Amino acid sequence: MKRKILICDDDEGILEMLEMVLDAEDYDVTTEQNSLKMFDRMAQVQPDMLILDLWMPVLSGDQITAKVRSTPAYQHLPILIISASRDGAEIAKNAGASAYLAKPFDIGDFMDAVEKLDTQSAA
Amino acid sequence: MENTFKADQLPRDSDNSISLTLIKAALDSSVSGIIITDNQLPDNPIIYCNSSFEKMTGYKRNDIIGHNCRFLQADDRQQPERDKIREAVKKGQNISVEIRNYRKDGELFWNELYVSPIKSPDGNITHFVGVQHDVTRRKKAEEDLKHEKQLREQKITERTNELNASREYLESIVQTVRESLLVLDPGLKVISANQHFLNTFKVSLSETEDKSLYDLGNGQWNIPKLKELLEKILPTNNPVLDFEVEHNFPHIGRKLMLLNAHRIELEGEYKDRILLAIEDITERRAIEQRKDDFLSVASHELKTPLTTIKGYIQIMERLLPPESSEKLKDIIKKTARHADKLNNLIQELLEVSRIQTGNITLVKEQFDLDEMVTEMVDSLQAASSNHRIHLSGRTGIKYRGDESQLSQVVSNLLSNAIKYSPDSTDIDVHLAVVGDYVKLSVKDYGLGISPADQKKIFERFYRSSETQKHFPGMGIGLYICEQIIKNHGGSLWVDSEYGKGSTFNFTLPLN
Repeated sequence: MKRKILICDDDEGILEMLEMVLDAEDYDVTTEQNSLKMFDRMAQVQPDMLILDLWMPVLSGDQITAKVRSTPAYQHLPILIISASRDGAEIAKNAGASAYLAKPFDIGDFMDAVEKLDTQSAA
Repeated sequence: MENTFKADQLPRDSDNSISLTLIKAALDSSVSGIIITDNQLPDNPIIYCNSSFEKMTGYKRNDIIGHNCRFLQADDRQQPERDKIREAVKKGQNISVEIRNYRKDGELFWNELYVSPIKSPDGNITHFVGVQHDVTRRKKAEEDLKHEKQLREQKITERTNELNASREYLESIVQTVRESLLVLDPGLKVISANQHFLNTFKVSLSETEDKSLYDLGNGQWNIPKLKELLEKILPTNNPVLDFEVEHNFPHIGRKLMLLNAHRIELEGEYKDRILLAIEDITERRAIEQRKDDFLSVASHELKTPLTTIKGYIQIMERLLPPESSEKLKDIIKKTARHADKLNNLIQELLEVSRIQTGNITLVKEQFDLDEMVTEMVDSLQAASSNHRIHLSGRTGIKYRGDESQLSQVVSNLLSNAIKYSPDSTDIDVHLAVVGDYVKLSVKDYGLGISPADQKKIFERFYRSSETQKHFPGMGIGLYICEQIIKNHGGSLWVDSEYGKGSTFNFTLPLN
């Protein structure tokens, strides 16, 4: 069965690109541009992993992460935060993300990070 | 002349008075020049002079007997003393004067002259006796002293004028400068404040002058650290530089002030004073912050599409069928390289802004310095097939510092060495421990840097005009490098000869 990944980024370009990459690697990808809709999306998709941008209107990636982590069912859900913000790594870590990648990143590094999280959660 | 008479054998004249010969001998042995003039003869001529007079004036008896004394003044006739003598002679009085006389050879001598009349029993003045001393030396000393004194007085006057002038000069500068200035005495009491100070802090002169600096306003300057620095200025001549005070000031509210204080170096009246300059940088700091914020946002926004571009390029590379033309493969490779370049530029812009506002923080961790340098050399070597980078020396040190920032410096120095030596192949990198420091040198055999440019290349956005024509770039790499090295307590410098190549060196303290 395909592993499900839900991506949230306010930039449509990145969503499309990442979807293409992950599709090619045989993941079941859902994208969401509106951070406010993320919790509905999660309930609907039941993802195995989240990929979140940090700076987004209304709800930021770290806020979503913190909220997800406070839900018992999602305490161990792999969350990868991607951001072009310089302090991103620290914010992501403090919020409880599983991994962090600075934008712009190599697709190779991105896939490594995704696969590593996937293996860890599957194990 | 020797007197050989014995007292009881004194030659005497028939009337038992002392003999004239004896008197003449006595007069000749006197050190005073003595002349006698006959007032009963026309023009009061000299009828006698002793040998001291001859010595003093250089005239012989033959030259002067029968002459009036005035020849002694030669052409120097306008002396007021002459009138005094004439007056005294006319009235038959004693007189003592100092008068300029001239020897036969024309040389000036000062004559202290004592003239006394000799009267006959019937009261007529028959003769005058002149007793003279050459007081030239004494007179010269007196004149010198007087001259010296005049000169000194003149100098004092000039100096006073100068001081007044410089006081006015300084005053006008102090009042004109658009910065708040206080002049303090050694006890840090305010001697004067300029108008700008009064306007800035909305205070009056009477609230400020003659008050201790620490008592101004609501004690805003009474800060232990500042106190310590200010009190060291006079004894050590170490200025206070860029001391920031953020405070809720009376009348004007919370402000950020920048303080600079120096000892005033003028001599005389103005030494032992401190000039304190206070600049309100609240607005400037806010603008810097806004600029920093703007650059953060801008770079974030620029990086977002760049992430997508980079991603698609890499997808393209993967999707590209192996049989595709070399040209197409090359185009994709170049596109990837330029996307990376764009990313670096954005990164640099952001970092310059952060460094400028002091927002850059060091993440210090121990790392293997030799290994870091080796990695950077390898990665730059891989990217430039035209150059051979030779790494020599090692430190064997686990250095505690920000590895990512320091590797950025090494990378930047290596890229510059490659970039600015297009026609040579060798680049020498050397690592060493030098005393309490580790030292890295990157030597190229390329264009070199002119002495004028050597001073400027570490400035932000500086590009030498020569470089500008042939090599693209924003001119912030070395600025960032220097800031990073400085933040680690080290220094970065260049040795270069134009046309022969450059060596960039940096040192980092081990502790």
